Amino acid sequence: MSESATPVLLADGESLSAAMLRRLFIGQCLVLIMHLPFMPLWLLAVAALVAWRRHRQLIARAPRASVTLRLAAIALLCVALWAQYGGFGDLEALLGVLIGIYLLKLLETRTRRDARVVVGIGFVVLTASFLHDQSIFMALGAVAAATWLVHSLVMLSGGAQARPNRVAWRETAWLLGLSAPLMVALFIVMPRLGPLWSLPTLERASTGLSDSMAPGDIAKLSRSDARAFRVSFAGPVPAPAERYWRVYTLSHFDGERWSRETPEALAAMLERPLSDFAKTARRNPFAADTFTSAATDRSGGVTGSGSTSGGSSRYRTEFLLEPDSRPWRPSLGTPLASPERQRFLGDGTFEGVAALSSRGLMSLASSGEAPAFASPAGRAWHTLLPRGRNPRTLALAKRLWQDAEGDPEAYMAAVMARFGEAPYRYTLEPPRLAGEHRVDDFLFDSQAGYCSHYASATAVLARAVGIPARVVAGFQGGERHPDGHLTVRDYDAHAWVEVWHDGAWRRLDPTAVIAPERIEQGTAALSAGSQAFLADAGLSPLRFRDVAWVNRARLAWERLEYRWQLQVVGYESRDREALLSQLLQALETPWQSFKALKERISSLASSGAGALRLGAEVLGVLMLAALVVVGVQAGARRWRRPSTLRELLLEDAAWLARHGYPPRPGESPAAHLRRLAAASSGDEPSPDEPGLARGRAADLQQRQRDLKAASQALAEAIERVYYAPLDERERRRWHEAFHARRRRWRRAFRRVNRCRGRGAGRLARWRQTWHLGR
Amino acid sequence: MSKRGAPLAGPLTRGWARLRAWSWSRRSTATETPLSQHRLFVVPTGFGLAWAGLIVILFLFGTNYQNNLAYGLAFWLLAIALVALVRGWRNLLGVRVTITPEGEAFAGDEARLRVTLAASRDRQALAVCLGRRLGRRAGRSRTRRSEREGRCAVADLVDGEASLTIGWPVTLRGDQPLPRLRLESDWPLGLVRALAWVESPETLLVYPRPWSSRDPAMAASRPLDESSPPSATPKTPRDTQEFAGLKRYVPGDAPSRLAWKQWSRTGVLATKHFSEPPVAPTWLDYAAVTGDVETRLSWLCYQVNAYHGRGEPFGLRLPGLTLPPASGSVQRRRALSALARFSLPGSESTGTVHDGLDDAVDDSASANGAFAPATGVTAGDARQEGA
Repeated sequence: MSESATPVLLADGESLSAAMLRRLFIGQCLVLIMHLPFMPLWLLAVAALVAWRRHRQLIARAPRASVTLRLAAIALLCVALWAQYGGFGDLEALLGVLIGIYLLKLLETRTRRDARVVVGIGFVVLTASFLHDQSIFMALGAVAAATWLVHSLVMLSGGAQARPNRVAWRETAWLLGLSAPLMVALFIVMPRLGPLWSLPTLERASTGLSDSMAPGDIAKLSRSDARAFRVSFAGPVPAPAERYWRVYTLSHFDGERWSRETPEALAAMLERPLSDFAKTARRNPFAADTFTSAATDRSGGVTGSGSTSGGSSRYRTEFLLEPDSRPWRPSLGTPLASPERQRFLGDGTFEGVAALSSRGLMSLASSGEAPAFASPAGRAWHTLLPRGRNPRTLALAKRLWQDAEGDPEAYMAAVMARFGEAPYRYTLEPPRLAGEHRVDDFLFDSQAGYCSHYASATAVLARAVGIPARVVAGFQGGERHPDGHLTVRDYDAHAWVEVWHDGAWRRLDPTAVIAPERIEQGTAALSAGSQAFLADAGLSPLRFRDVAWVNRARLAWERLEYRWQLQVVGYESRDREALLSQLLQALETPWQSFKALKERISSLASSGAGALRLGAEVLGVLMLAALVVVGVQAGARRWRRPSTLRELLLEDAAWLARHGYPPRPGESPAAHLRRLAAASSGDEPSPDEPGLARGRAADLQQRQRDLKAASQALAEAIERVYYAPLDERERRRWHEAFHARRRRWRRAFRRVNRCRGRGAGRLARWRQTWHLGR
Repeated sequence: MSKRGAPLAGPLTRGWARLRAWSWSRRSTATETPLSQHRLFVVPTGFGLAWAGLIVILFLFGTNYQNNLAYGLAFWLLAIALVALVRGWRNLLGVRVTITPEGEAFAGDEARLRVTLAASRDRQALAVCLGRRLGRRAGRSRTRRSEREGRCAVADLVDGEASLTIGWPVTLRGDQPLPRLRLESDWPLGLVRALAWVESPETLLVYPRPWSSRDPAMAASRPLDESSPPSATPKTPRDTQEFAGLKRYVPGDAPSRLAWKQWSRTGVLATKHFSEPPVAPTWLDYAAVTGDVETRLSWLCYQVNAYHGRGEPFGLRLPGLTLPPASGSVQRRRALSALARFSLPGSESTGTVHDGLDDAVDDSASANGAFAPATGVTAGDARQEGA
């Protein structure tokens, strides 16, 4: 900004000046930018229109905005928002109203008070932008906007100054700098409360994962690189081929589409109580029944200390979930226990109690395997197939079943082996299947597809011979970061099959047969040259994962972002307690040593010789402290000491001025010293001066004579060094003489001052300020 | 005054006045001493209270949406408010205030007070205010703003010193104690206002209000003495003056009086001097004017100014005091001081007249009850305004 003297107020002492209005408008724009990625762009036009109108008013081409105009503007804004969102039910429309009113407020901003109101609303709108997102970028943007707003406030309370901008920026820096540590402390220490009442939240779906799939429809597979969730492990990290994140089971097949039946729908259909299908608890009640009896032979990996029943939890995970208005939760295998209450479902998945409006943390212990308990929906439900569909598939199933001689295991192995053979291939861009018998079309005609196609066909083949089977939708894989956490993205979405065999569900992944690299290395392994991969992702850094430094930078950024989300955005009461207890522990050590010291002191003080020793010790410590302080001060003085001759003289002049002998305008240092010498010899102390005994008067005279001589000598040295034509050696000699004389002169001056004893210096002023008695 | 004339009023009002005087003595700082932390007050402004509300809103926002960044912003605003409080306080701490009257003041007019602020550090947006109402409210009611209220001047203290002038409406003649000034600042954010009261032990001699024909109150009781016309002739015309000789030119002499002819002849620049025609000295006599005391003094004050403006000598005769005729600014000042300090020899109690603005009027009014009618009315007004 320019350094021109721009007053905050106009000449009438009330209206805001153009510069101040511009400042407010820039602040509005900064706050608006925080919202723009998530809000309609025409809000920018609103801001521009308001600014234009206000500008015209300022240059007196338009009258002050009337009440009618303001009301009309608000009405127009509401209509536009209505058209955009079709009502004011959802939060985004309400946010739009808030932003619009904030922008329109500029129309009636005239006085200092109005400007402060605008800034205040600005802070509210700025906070509202955190509803959209809480990323590092948002935080940085908010800091920038808040800085600007605070600067506006400082400008508002400053008077008419010579350099208002500079002063205001300095003050802003002080305010923000000093308040930042306080803010951090408050952030850490303040207790967090639960939500006091419910408020509308933003509708959104973070992942393309759907609760139904229709292989053959146009590829619905999400291929964006949006993050689905991040997860870190306490303990071992599973191998890539073991990372099956279960989210939904799809158990209903209508010939074209596999879909999920919610517990409510199942309970209604099977006419059984809902509690058979879903229970809200901290531990999985379905797993508990069987694990206590049957799962003792499983070799548990890491067992949480009493957190699960039966010690069968192999993985302790902590998820960082993206906000989603559906309450789905991923789990590595079967979910077993969580510190918070979750809604465990009968099919071995679980849901959150409520949707996540912002990123959330969730701890979970899980088995890593398909559930070992039967679905409460029953065997019949999992063998249902629509009548009269896919006859060729049914025939194939019958033939294979006969070949396997009725052994389910051999049958499934044959099905898998069949997929492993030649004509079947894995592609992300399969041909579209539109007929009635889609599984037939896939198995015998197109023979190309991705995970959904294979999972669907496998499940149909299993059900055809009466083996209970279901499709599981979820994620497979995840990118491992150097610090150990995994990022699972939308394009990791996957579908596989679970069949019931030997009293447990067994995971069966046909994709692992047809495209093992997909399972071992992730989706990216299939993407070489494929246009389909990341088709929805735009220009993503993931496209450049082969360029080493881009990839490194991306990983570093993601790691930072992860920690930000985990430690700042996800900071909650639990972390607070942990941190505080850590702090207390850290404080424990000094406290203990202090107590020990106290005891020692009391024991020493009880005996006479001990007291002496104690006194000596205390004295020693005090002296040491004083020594350190003096040393630091001397160091600081030495460090700040003026180096050139000119600076030295300036310092002396300032010193003299402080002691009440300011230089006259245009007086040279030497002349100043000579004047001082004349003055010191001139004012002979009168004997009746208060506070001067007779002996001290004589003393003072002696000292004043000293000072006079020293001043004159120093003046001579200054003139020599500055003006006399000297050769190198003489110059050096005079320099030394100058320094020596300067020291002597200072000493003499101080002595005289001390003898005068009128300490009207800084100390006295300071004492007066702080009301310290004299 | 009549309302307070109830039976209990005497001791109660006296006690109240003493209490207030004591509290003021505890609250205010003397001039030329640094403001100490004992005498520095920090009060929240309306905007500060709104800011607190804003913090609560953001906190609730953070709580209900479980939004940690909203929490962070709320805490930051709180921290900023605390820092602003300390910095605002520090902005005033240690400032030294000096009050010096500028020029001369006539009753009913405005005295100019020069306020010098000094401190070792730079200070921002220091407002010096007169009157007892705080802050912006003082300036709010422009239409009804009386002369006494809401006079503020703002200055920044840069390089150790700043000075500003503030108008002080004076209503009473005589030795007036300088008003108690309020030094305040809502730097840096306008959330809190730091304020301090500064009192000066000095007094300002206020001359009587000069009589003017425009003033209706004065016009009503127009004095009978019409001998000298109110419209002052600027200067005696030159032809009535007598040439008195030449003097060597001194820089500053009027060019119209330079003796150019002499210069062209001799090359020496000289100035022509004229002698004023001898005028019989006039006596301005208190006894020759009719009206009450203040009217008479007012008329005399006007005459003194008029005679001085014309450069004519005059003498002043007051009961108990006589100034011999003379001219010049010394005479004028002497005459005006005598008029300002004049009190009828009979009633000594009106000798000390206090400013109606001040709280001190309470105790002085109750203590020495007898007031001249005119001053009594003003004091009563002041109390009603203040109450």
